Amino acid sequence: MQGATNTEIATDIDLLVKEATDGDANAFGILYDMYVDRVYRHVYYRIGSTEDAEDLTQQAFLKAWQAIGRYKKTASPFIAWLISISHNLVIDFYRSKKDSVYLDSEVMAGDSTLSPDKLTEAAFDQQQLRKVIMQLPGDYQKVILMRFIEGFSYSEIAASIGKSEGAVRVTLHRALARMRKILKKAKQ
Amino acid sequence: MKRVEDILTQCIEEIKSGKVNLAECLDHYPAIREELEPLLRIALSINEPPDVMPSDAFKIRARVNLMEYIHASKTTKKPVGSSLKSLTTRAWATGWSRAVVVILAVIISVSALGTGTVYASQDSVPGDILYPVKLGTEQAQRFFTTNDVSGTSLELSFADNRIEEMVVLTHKRPEELAVAVNGYERNLELTISRVEQVNNKGVRASLQETIALAISGHLFSLDELEDSMTEKIEEINTAREIAMDGHIRALQGLMVENPLRAAEINIVTMLDRLNRAKLESERGNIKEMEQALQHFQRLRKFGEEISSNAAQNGYDTRAIDELNAGATAGQMEIFGAIYSNTPEEAKGIVEKAMVVSMEGHGQAVQGLQQQGSLGDIPEEPPLPEDIPGEVKKKILKPETAGEGNGRN
Repeated sequence: MQGATNTEIATDIDLLVKEATDGDANAFGILYDMYVDRVYRHVYYRIGSTEDAEDLTQQAFLKAWQAIGRYKKTASPFIAWLISISHNLVIDFYRSKKDSVYLDSEVMAGDSTLSPDKLTEAAFDQQQLRKVIMQLPGDYQKVILMRFIEGFSYSEIAASIGKSEGAVRVTLHRALARMRKILKKAKQ
Repeated sequence: MKRVEDILTQCIEEIKSGKVNLAECLDHYPAIREELEPLLRIALSINEPPDVMPSDAFKIRARVNLMEYIHASKTTKKPVGSSLKSLTTRAWATGWSRAVVVILAVIISVSALGTGTVYASQDSVPGDILYPVKLGTEQAQRFFTTNDVSGTSLELSFADNRIEEMVVLTHKRPEELAVAVNGYERNLELTISRVEQVNNKGVRASLQETIALAISGHLFSLDELEDSMTEKIEEINTAREIAMDGHIRALQGLMVENPLRAAEINIVTMLDRLNRAKLESERGNIKEMEQALQHFQRLRKFGEEISSNAAQNGYDTRAIDELNAGATAGQMEIFGAIYSNTPEEAKGIVEKAMVVSMEGHGQAVQGLQQQGSLGDIPEEPPLPEDIPGEVKKKILKPETAGEGNGRN
């Protein structure tokens, strides 16, 4: 059975985004239906609490609606824009809950998705990595999450954070080096 | 010479895609091997999280809140002029002659009634003097929406309006409820026929999912509405029947492209109806319990249809059959509670629904057995302890008990 092509889907999404930007609540409702799972997944990965992830996901869409007039179609897809909004909300959330520890939660308890031969090349526990990623500053964290967790391309990440693709690669390299440093420190 | 960051990202992508392994990549760049290896190991260790999905209940609740917020903010902030401007802009884009006629109609209406009147009409309900203006505005919006994607969601939003009107009318003017219920039926009919016109299969399926979830929300609102009343109102039951028909039709569309998602939504709604039956049985409302159980039975049988249809279309039905079979044990627990709440003379209604549940289970188990993937799912799930032995036999072997409850 043949599904819609990527171009067809992209065109439909562009149309929906345009209508939502023009104030069409129904179009925005469809965008919500299409992306609520991904936004939730992103928030949940970073928060680890169902209740807070639901709350922040809802807030992300409200903020997106309030700001949709400022959304500009660039190389960054609409979902990347939504993820950026969610990302900032999570930062605010942690700022307001400085004393709370959320990272020990159950999120990463699942099995690895890597094949057995790749598993031998992967050497770290997911929970541990997640904690380390959460310690990364701003763009470092965003680039790691968008590339490895959300699966965005380098060009999409570049458009989303307003940098060149080359700069994204540099940021990724630095972020991994920073992760290495944190992991090394933790072992000592 | 390549920069280390370019080599790093290239290696990550090539290893992840299976083109090379870690050792090959490191061998290729011996000069930076020491720096590259630990970074690659970290990068390759970061996995996508296991499937974390928000619950359907949350998605519906958040959607309703979002739409309420949007409509409320439009009501307080957006002047009517801008809606009219938006409508006229679309009209120019979609065709002169028909646009001119409708623009004139809208201008005449607005001039005659005033923009404030048109706006105020949005909160009106059947029996209010401004209600025809509200329906006229909806008709104008419908007329201008030539795109089937937007048209579908527009029509669905009108169905939402009818549900909101039912809530107001039940307390304010119950004699007008039938008008809102008839409107709801028409709006759902138009929603479903319009979504069938959407050409793009992926978008059509996404809309059908939205419709099915929205109707689940309608059923929830109707239940809440009923709970807020001291007396039962027949129109609410009628609206619920219409919602059930619409829900199943939306899922019938969705199951063509995405049978697993259709099965998931079906299971959630089925559980919701069964819990409704339990609540009604606790209250001693036998008629309402029976309606909820009838809905449960329709959905259970529909679950079998989803599986058969998926098999005919060449899909792997294991996940669907696992869902259908895996749900039975939980259903039986709820049935146990319903059964003990139900007076003797009405227990037959519950038994009949249990038979349907077991038949659905049987078909799913059969499907799994054929594919050699029954796993831990029992061929016959345990029946609730409170149910007498004779009745258990009837439920497990309805044909020998002469109940005639087989599927059509």
